[in-house]
Formats: sequence, structure tokens, C-alpha cells
Amino acid sequence: MDALAIAERALALASGDEAEVVVGTERSGFARYAGSEVHQPTLIENAGVQLRLLRDGRAGLATTNRTDDEGLAELARRAADVVASASENPDLPPLASPASFPEIDGYDEETASLGAEDQARLAAAAIGASGDLDLYGYFTSGVCELAIASTTGLRASQRTTDATCLALAAGDGASGYAERTAWRAGEIDPAEVAEEAAGKAARTRGAQEAGPARYRAVLDPYAIAELLYYFSFDSLNGLALLEERSFFAGRIGEQVFDPQVTLVDDALDPSGLPAAFDFEGTPKQHVTLVEEGVIRGPVWDRATAARAGRESTGHALPAASRAFGPVPTAVTMAAGKAESVEELAELVGDGIYVTRLHYLSVVSPHEGVITGMTRDGTFRIRDGKIAEPLVNLRFTVSVPDLLADVPGLTRATQLVNESDFYDDRWAYGYRVPALATACFNVTGAGSGPGL
Amino acid sequence: MTRWVVEVQVLSSALRSLLEPHGGDGGFPRVCCEGLREACAAGVDAAVGAGASYADARAVTRHLQSVGTKNGRVETLTDAETEGIGVRVLVGGAWGFACDRRLTPEGARDAALRACAFAAAAGVNGRRALAPLEARSGSYRTPVRQDPFSVSLADKVALCLRAEAAMQHSDVKVAQASVRALSERKLFLSSDGAEIDQELVECGGGIDAMAAVDGLFQMRSYPSAHVGVSAQAGWEFVEGLGLEREASRVAEEAAALLRADECPAAVTTVVIAAEQMQLQVHESVGHPTELDRVYGTEAAYAGTSFLQASDLGSLRYGSEHMNITADSTTPSGLGTFGFDDEGVPASREPVVAEGVLRGFLTSRETAARLGKGSGGSMRADGWARMPLVRMTNLHLEPGSGSLEELISEVDEGIFLDTNRSWSIDDKRLNFQFGTQVAREIKGGKLGRMLRDATYTGVTPVFWGSLDRVAGPEEWVMHGLTNCGKGQPGQHAHVSHGASPARFRDVQVGVKS
Repeated sequence: MDALAIAERALALASGDEAEVVVGTERSGFARYAGSEVHQPTLIENAGVQLRLLRDGRAGLATTNRTDDEGLAELARRAADVVASASENPDLPPLASPASFPEIDGYDEETASLGAEDQARLAAAAIGASGDLDLYGYFTSGVCELAIASTTGLRASQRTTDATCLALAAGDGASGYAERTAWRAGEIDPAEVAEEAAGKAARTRGAQEAGPARYRAVLDPYAIAELLYYFSFDSLNGLALLEERSFFAGRIGEQVFDPQVTLVDDALDPSGLPAAFDFEGTPKQHVTLVEEGVIRGPVWDRATAARAGRESTGHALPAASRAFGPVPTAVTMAAGKAESVEELAELVGDGIYVTRLHYLSVVSPHEGVITGMTRDGTFRIRDGKIAEPLVNLRFTVSVPDLLADVPGLTRATQLVNESDFYDDRWAYGYRVPALATACFNVTGAGSGPGL
Repeated sequence: MTRWVVEVQVLSSALRSLLEPHGGDGGFPRVCCEGLREACAAGVDAAVGAGASYADARAVTRHLQSVGTKNGRVETLTDAETEGIGVRVLVGGAWGFACDRRLTPEGARDAALRACAFAAAAGVNGRRALAPLEARSGSYRTPVRQDPFSVSLADKVALCLRAEAAMQHSDVKVAQASVRALSERKLFLSSDGAEIDQELVECGGGIDAMAAVDGLFQMRSYPSAHVGVSAQAGWEFVEGLGLEREASRVAEEAAALLRADECPAAVTTVVIAAEQMQLQVHESVGHPTELDRVYGTEAAYAGTSFLQASDLGSLRYGSEHMNITADSTTPSGLGTFGFDDEGVPASREPVVAEGVLRGFLTSRETAARLGKGSGGSMRADGWARMPLVRMTNLHLEPGSGSLEELISEVDEGIFLDTNRSWSIDDKRLNFQFGTQVAREIKGGKLGRMLRDATYTGVTPVFWGSLDRVAGPEEWVMHGLTNCGKGQPGQHAHVSHGASPARFRDVQVGVKS
């Protein structure tokens, strides 16, 4: 399928003052496994077409996955009906103008060519490396194309690939977690992922309780990426800033975090999951969110940027999610100097070590307070060493407090997949180091590791 | 509650080839066209021809309208359609699933062959038993008085704008309203001889007011905090919500929260309003009783369960006041259907009775493994996902008395209303919820408003402290459309009914 060609055909049928067509195609496979056998293998092929019309200050959107002439003509009719039902919106920004887009990596022919047998084989490689413990998780790979054509003359298209291997090695009273994601499947060794998970799991038997307290802590990249992702929903979101629910509101330019904390959003980084433009066709910008602990600002899409008197940074979500506001989906946290998690444990001295977080929820957006559970590898740190395993702990943390005193970060960073592949496939992730913090607030205890 | 009974014809699989496309359905118009039947049959036949010991095909068309307004502007105005076919197969004891957006025999055959190839490549050895199911032909359609798609988008926009206009308040920075309408038609055929034709119609709506002043931010919502509530019903459901009627109260409460005291930390008695009880049931009873989680197949993502299969019939889940029912026949429930996505007829089953675990939510496969039941909880998110064990409609059965009576028996405590945050561990034991608003209870009466309330507990301990559930007159059912599970991810639409309930010795006021 040629996504841009579909977009051109749909645009030719549209009737409005301005029209924008966004086409997304997907071919993917999920070899999902549990109990060391593939139990939910899923192959998906789809193409979605979105037609957005602007007419007399009104906007309306219609979508379809029928790409034949009749389907696209019907789409145009429905979009015209929708825009006719809208009321005038004086804040409606015009469609994006044509732009030159950065050259990006992000497409790998070998990954694109992986089929069901390959996905099953790579899943089997992971399953075969989990030792005495059963393996749960998946190997997935996919190829997607995103194309945009509009009446402003804008034409944009990019093909991307992505692959992820996720491994939970688990048995009675023991579980450990690992994952790898990349746009080149060849960079992922499923056996290595399973071995990391199994190695972590082997250390979790005999987990002890730990009482509620404010601990010093070391967070693995899996944990810190998840925490930052939830923090981004409100605090790194330009709409939330305008609506005064972002922690950044009233604090831009202030030194709030530890000077070691620098956060940027950079979808052009070839070590991430690159994208050249967002879902409005705006070129992706390198955005500094936090610089050496000083808050610099959130990301913007066209609507929020217009309200704020700024330019879009290229962070519009798909149209169906755009009311949520712009969200950074390629955050990188600057690395530190520690050579290992063990070195961070030495910096912490006495505290806890957390592998992975579970079921996060924003308790208070304006304060950046998030609750959740640790899982699949929680340990005590004693005398600077990672010590006995702990049960899963409930935490209720202020992310700003957690980032205010950072004794260290690892030199190595890891790309962590933050997309759970709901709806249309769109892989994105955060690249972060492991992080030590002086403030991780444990407010309860839950179940032990394992099944 | 009245019960709606699905009319079905029971047929042997040998008669499948003689089947007329339409079963005994009470005479409503045929939902799916003959072309869909042809496509599904081609998918099933191709899979069986390629060596599948079992195959099913679901052809799905989905139409969704979404309207959202914010501060007098139309933010979202969408008319979305999608269609396709998903084919699920068992080959050599291994599952396979593939889908195709072409609703044609060719598309279905291609999907079937890819599903078989994937299953064969998975390399699972052995047999996989499915609970027996009589071959059925039948159909189901959501009863509606006014088709939500017959209401113009312009009228939907106007309703939202009127509702949010009524939320204008000097402290309210954001007033927003939304309504939605969904129609899903699906035809299901299986190699066991099932042929099931269904049309599910949903609609719903809600309003939110977000107030901010001097660095404080507070929010109130109606009827729930999760983009409103929905039901399988006609537009009469949205009109009955009274969004305009409730708007000024919602705005005033959001503003009042800015000046309210923070909920103190304490171990105390809590009375939980019906809306929050629905999420409590969802998270701490619904998910842990999904039998796939008990067997570990969701361990990597959603998690497992503190329950064991052997706990059935003996585990004390809560106090004698706790009665939970799974009911896919509840009128207007988002989990209501004639048949699930394996072709199992809708039913009403106890899950917890007088505090004792009495049932699990099952698929044909997990029911066979348990050696009890026949499935009935398998649901897929559209045509491009495999069905998973999901909640349908899961209710806390009512007790007796009014909310006022529950409160009148509390000397000191907290009343908690409308969910704001939610989190629970991977075995569904340790939970923490926050609510948009709380009120102090003193001497059996509601007192001052409190903000930023949270409460936390451990599932069986918490349910063990349940000492009263209000009566049927306080029982309310809400539908949620954002229940996530599976890899790749799937959303499920589920409903929960509950009355306000009272729990003793609960930790409130968790601090960061």
C-alpha cells in the first residue's frame, strides 16, 4: 500500500475550504506468549484514512478503513456532513503549510520483511532462554506508513519499522522483567532479554516486607521511563499548562530539579523510534523540557501553540486523541556518570532498588503526584549493596520531589517502549538512564513477586 | 431488575450447511448482509481446509460519532467507521489469529491462512480443550427507543454547548462536555456450527468542570470522571442524564473544592458513593476473577490474581454483605449481548455470594481447564483483536436502606464520591483510589467538604470490612469504555451497578 497515494486520492474527493488527509497503514505480528508457549499470536493488516475539513471557521473529521473509490467518496460525503454540523471556532488554527522535513532513520527492510514464522521463531528464542522459569510477554514487529496530504500543498510521508521483545520470567514467588525495543529487529537478542529477566527473577525468591517510609532509591530505566511518561500527560503538555494543571505552570525558568536532570524530546534521534513529523504534518522539533534542573517548557501542537502565541513543536497526537493536548513521545533523559546500577546503589547507601512499575495513576496533576506499584524485581539496598528481595510496594510520589535530589544516573541509557499497541499501531518510547533519588515515598505493601 | 432473555435456535452442527442466515430473533430486521455471511463462511472453511481443528470468523462493522466541546468551542467532532474480519483458529493445539479489512471471501480466506500459518509456527504441542457448546443460530439487537444516529450532529453539538455554558463560573477555567454514539454490527460463524448476528448500540455523555486558583487545581465531573458514562440504549439515555440540569452544581462544587480543607490522614469509617463503588468492584473483583489472569496468561502486562482456581466455593472474599453478580443480560449494560465472541449465550451468574467466591469469568478454554462452566465472557475489541476474557456487566447487589441511613449510623467518618485516581497491584490486592470530592461525617450527618481524598487497602481485608450496602433505590449502573487489557492492547466496554456502601477501619488521606 502506498499511503501517500491513498491520501492524494482522498484529498481529490474532498470538498471544503481546507482539507487534510492523514493515512496510516500497518502490517504487524504479535507472538504473545505465556507459560512458555505462544498463546495469542495476532497478525494485523489495516489502513486508516482520516479526512479533516475546515470550512468557514468550522472543523470536522471523518475516518474510514475502506480505501477503494467508493469508500473514499463515502468518506468525503461524511466529512462534509460533519463539518456542516460544527459551530464556528475562532481559535481554530489553519492547516499546516508545506514544510521541508528532516531526513530520519527509522525504517529497516529486514524488520519490515519479518513474517509470522519469524516472529514465532524470535519468540521461541526468548522462551528457550528463560531457564527453569516460564516466560510471559511477546515478540512483536511491524511496519507502518504515515502520510499526510492537504490543500495547503503539504505532502509528507514516512515509513517506519519497530520491534519489541518483552520478557517476564516468573514462577512461584519469583519474577523478573526485561524488554528491548528498536526500529531494527536485528538489534534485539530475544535470548538476552529473557536471560536478563530470568536472572533478575532468580534473585527475588523469599521477598520480605518493607514498611511505609520515604526511601532513597535506585530506579531501573523501565521504572523511570514509565514514571516520566505519566508525568508528561499533564506537566509536559502545552494544553495542561494553559489550563493550569501542569506542574510547570508558573515555574518556567525556575531551578526546580537537581542540576543533573535534563529532559529533551527528540524524535529525530536515531537511537530512539524516529519520526520526521507529527499527525498535523509539523516537522518534529528538538524540545528542551528541563535543562540542568531548570524548567524550560512543555511541547505544543498547532492549536495550543496558537493560543499561547508560540509555534508548534511538532507534537500533535492522532486526531482522535488530540483533545488530550500535545504529549512528548520521544523523551530522552541525559545520562550521568555511574557505570552501573550497583554504583548507584553505593550512592544511595540505604534504600530500595526498583525494576519496574505497575498501574500508575495521576493523583494530583498540578503537584505531579503519581501512585502505583513496584513489581518483578524490588530489592532492599543496604550499605551500598543491592540486598534482599522485597514484596511489591505501593508508592505515592511527587515526581518533582523525586527529581529534586538525584545522587546519580548511569552512563548507559536504554530505550523503553511506552506504547501498549492499543488501536492503530504507533510505537514510541523514552530513552533514559537508571536513576538514583533521595526521595521515593513508599505508602504500602502488596503482593509478592511471581505468579 | 427485569431480565432480558435471548431467543436462540439450537441446532446441531450437522445442520449447519442447511442453515438459513437468520435465527429466531423476535422479528427485528436482519443486521448483517448476506455478503458478510459468505465472507465468514469462507474464512472458517479455509481454516478447516488448512488443518484447523476449530475456527471462527467475526465480521465487524463499527460506526462511532464523538462530540466534545470545551469553553464554548467544538473540540472534537468525529464520524468514524471501520470494518474488517478476524479469523481465529486452533491448529495442532495452538491458537492463531489474523485479520483483514476486506469484508470479502478473499479477505477472509487470506486471514484464515495467515492465522493457520502463525498457529503452526507457534509450535505448541498437544491438545487444547474447549468447553462444549451446542451449535446455535441466533441474533440480538440492542433495544432502543431513539436511534442515537438519528439525532443530528448539530443537535449533539448544541446539547454539549448548552451544558457547558451552564458551568460558567469565575473559578472554572475549563468547562467541557461530550457525547458519543456507537453502533457495532458483527456476524460470527464457527466450525462448531454457530451463526450469530448481533447489533450493539451505545451512547453516552458527561460534563467536567476544572477550577484553578492560586496554584490549586480541582475538578468535578458528572455522571463520572471517565469521559461521562455510556449505556447500550437509544438517545433517550443521554437525554435522561440531565447534563444541563447538573452543570451548575458541578461547577459550584469544583470551585468550592478550591477552598475546602485537605482530607486528613486517618483510619476511619468510609461511605463510598455508587460511582466510586463501581470502580472498586471493577478493579478489586472484576479483574481478579478473570480466569485467564488466575491461570497466568495476562501475567506480563495486566497481571495475575490473588485467587487460585481451587479457591472456588471456599475463599472468603468479603463480609456476608458482599454479593457480586456477572450478568451479560442486564438491560442497558455495555457488557450486554446475546452471545459472547465465542458464541456462548448471555447469562447471569454469581461471582461472590454472601462473601464467598462462587464463580469466575471464563472463556471456553479456561472453563474446560477449570472443569466447570461454559465460558461466556470472551470479548474482542473490534475485528482486529483476538477475544479475551473480559468483564461483561459486574454488579454489587443492593442491600437495604438509603444512603442517608448508612451515613446516619456513622459517628465519625468520610463520604467519598466520584473517582479521580485509581491503581491496584498486579495480583489485585493492594489498591489506592482517589476521589474528586469527600465530605466529613460527624454524628451521623454530612459535614464540611474535603479535597484531595484518597483511600487505600488490601482487597479481601477491605471487602471483609463491608458492613452495609444501601438498597435497590440507591442502585445505579454506569458504563465505562476504557477498560484496558491484552497485548496488543484492547479496550472493553463494561458496566457496573452498585449502591453506596460502608466500610469500617479504612486508611484515608495517603500523602506523597
